[in-house]
Amino acid sequence: MNIDDDGLDHLLASDDILDFSSQETLQSSADEPFCMSEDELLLETHADTPGVDSFDELDVADYLGLSAVGLPQAASGALLPTTRQIQHDKLHPKKARLSKKQKASSFSHPQGSPRERIEAIFRQISTDLDDGEAEIGISLNMRSRQPLQSQAVLTADSSDTRIRSKRLSFPGRTEDEAWRFTIVIRILELIHGALCTGFTISKRDIYYRDPALFGNQRHVDRYVDDIAFTFGVPRSALNVTAMVKGLVAGAVSFCRRDGSTVTASGDREGLLVPSLKDILSVDLTSAKWVIVIEKEASFRSLAASSFWDRLSFEGVLITGKGYPDVATRALLRCFCTPSPQNGFASPPCFALVDHDPDGLAIMSVYKHGSIALAHESAELKVPQLQWLGLRDEHMTFATADAHASQGLLILSMRDRSKAKKMLERGVMQGDGSLAHKDDEEVSAALRVMLMLNIKAELQLLDAAPGGTAQLVGDELDRLALSVAKQQKYE
Amino acid sequence: MSKQYLQTHTLPDAHPTDIFSLAVTSSQLLSASGSSSIRIHSTKGQVIHADSADDEHPYPLVQTLEKVHPLGCHHVCTSLDGKIAASSGFGGELKIWQCNEEGTWSAKSELKPDEKKAGEHWAVSLNESGQYLACTTHDGRINVYNTVATPPEKFAQYETKGSFGMSVDISPNGSMTACGHQNGGIYIFNNSTQRLAHSLSGLIKPVRSVKFSPANKYLAAAGDARIIALYDTQSGEQVANLTGHASWIMSLDWNWSGEFLLSGGFDGKAKIWSVERRECVATQTESEKCLWAVKWLPRSAAARNETFVAAGAGRTLCFYREASGT
Repeated sequence: MNIDDDGLDHLLASDDILDFSSQETLQSSADEPFCMSEDELLLETHADTPGVDSFDELDVADYLGLSAVGLPQAASGALLPTTRQIQHDKLHPKKARLSKKQKASSFSHPQGSPRERIEAIFRQISTDLDDGEAEIGISLNMRSRQPLQSQAVLTADSSDTRIRSKRLSFPGRTEDEAWRFTIVIRILELIHGALCTGFTISKRDIYYRDPALFGNQRHVDRYVDDIAFTFGVPRSALNVTAMVKGLVAGAVSFCRRDGSTVTASGDREGLLVPSLKDILSVDLTSAKWVIVIEKEASFRSLAASSFWDRLSFEGVLITGKGYPDVATRALLRCFCTPSPQNGFASPPCFALVDHDPDGLAIMSVYKHGSIALAHESAELKVPQLQWLGLRDEHMTFATADAHASQGLLILSMRDRSKAKKMLERGVMQGDGSLAHKDDEEVSAALRVMLMLNIKAELQLLDAAPGGTAQLVGDELDRLALSVAKQQKYE
Repeated sequence: MSKQYLQTHTLPDAHPTDIFSLAVTSSQLLSASGSSSIRIHSTKGQVIHADSADDEHPYPLVQTLEKVHPLGCHHVCTSLDGKIAASSGFGGELKIWQCNEEGTWSAKSELKPDEKKAGEHWAVSLNESGQYLACTTHDGRINVYNTVATPPEKFAQYETKGSFGMSVDISPNGSMTACGHQNGGIYIFNNSTQRLAHSLSGLIKPVRSVKFSPANKYLAAAGDARIIALYDTQSGEQVANLTGHASWIMSLDWNWSGEFLLSGGFDGKAKIWSVERRECVATQTESEKCLWAVKWLPRSAAARNETFVAAGAGRTLCFYREASGT
């Protein structure tokens, strides 16, 4: 099998930025269940994965078989890691280290669909094994843990060498590395299966395919996003989603690709947020506004109140239940950004979040994207999101009302340091950009929060006369009025 | 008998965000806000008669300490002699300032925040000469620093029950340090023995301001309980409750003679209390926006009547003077 020159070039280029000495310190996996030997695992992979057959010319099983043959030490998974390591060192002297750089598989191949690229990786590994290489490996680009702003700079200049790359080898230097390599290969293989069959799988599905291997949902989440980042595609292009957890209710209806129509105005319980891939069009003609609510409880109490009468005719409620998943953010963006898909509607959208650092951080995720998924943030951001509540002024009544003041809570140490970090981030982006004024509003609120050492949850409003519904109604009227004034002025 | 106060001057948009703290010297007013700068206005040129030309700018901005607290500054205080100031910022940093003969402030030293402990330094207070700085922490300690050293050296540490220290004050004669806490606790420490002198019957709710009277006789404390409690600093007994604020009390200040107490509320109301009569003698309402800080200006020879300044969420510095003839 041949590798195209392009791939090799790129490979060398990516090797240049590899710095083994500064390899990310891997978290010890000593506490993770790791009881399966590699070959067992790989064979099982073959057995329970649909879609492997549709591998065009390749069969994963072949490679996996090869891996067992080509690397005898891998078959002795039952041995203690130290023994294995010793064996490994005996069998493969320093040569292994030297050949590593030349043979990194071209994970960062710039062209091709994700499916083709996964196949290219497997092909490369197979070639390496055929050639009797001592070690096989893949390189992953690490997502930056820097805040959004520097990330934006980073993606603007893709040649920036600050993108960290990490190489995982098999058998590798430690058991941990071998395990991580196995995880990535397993995930790639599941993604390949999903891409071949056209089914979408969730990150949770991936985990449950092999909980003993993955050990923890976190590892799946991390590597799926790293793979998407390395390929330079949104996660949805890998046919992988997070678990659907968002809810939507109100004056909106969806036309699915299969031709069926579903409306969210019929059910106070709300609909699960549909995947945008299945949606042909969104009918928002009667929606005058969209409100994002942080919490499911508030979503439900609002939908169950008399506010529903107004809601079902002129508005949309959506909740991501805490920090939102990608599907919820994508749907919100679809609602609020004019496109053929939503009939060029652009209703104003508002956020109703707790008056605490997390609430404001959740609003910021909807608005500016998250740090973890900064590489695909652009298609998920809703910069025009306005802050409806809870704001300082909504808490004023609580200061006078003895009963309601019980809804005010003291900031924890975690809240305080979170607020401080958010302030630091806010200061960093103080570059006069468009969003600046809004962000200053959030920073000001954080400072007041720190000064008062008090936070409030949305449930506080239940103690207010009229409750949440009253507040939301009033705020909407006020905002509608100010918008009308502005239009008149213009 | 009530007194009347007139708004004599306002400096709108004195800061771009909430003004959180005020401090005064005999000739200057220092203000700190959510912005990174500390601003200093001169109070020397205040005039009585409105017909003089000076009156258009009676409180000129004389100095701005630019970008000294990147995340904003929540507390600022000065020593009674006006030569030393201290400010604490949202990043957890603590800065000491000194003032030269011309009234220009410059940085003296800084205490960097400990990365792991947000809010290590919160409220601050300096003694008369500015040599000692008392500073509350999030976990209820009071750290006393010697500011003569660079960086400031920890001189003493007072322990309380671990509740957030929201306010602190060193008595004018330097013998006592008082602090008010989130859980309503109020403590007086003896500075010479470094021991707890009194644990005062608290207000149960957060105590946002504690202030010693000029003659060290009383301690005033107030906060979310919406009352101002007066304590005798020798006996530790509560001697009075001043009621009348409908909202949280954010700030307190005694006038020079100790006859009047000034308070500022979350609802934007400022009140003046007669200590002798134990009642409110004047209420000022400019807006409904929280007054984070209220402060009497030191009495100057030129002014017959006393002036105070109030600032807060309105971002404005408002000056009030007692109306003549009452």
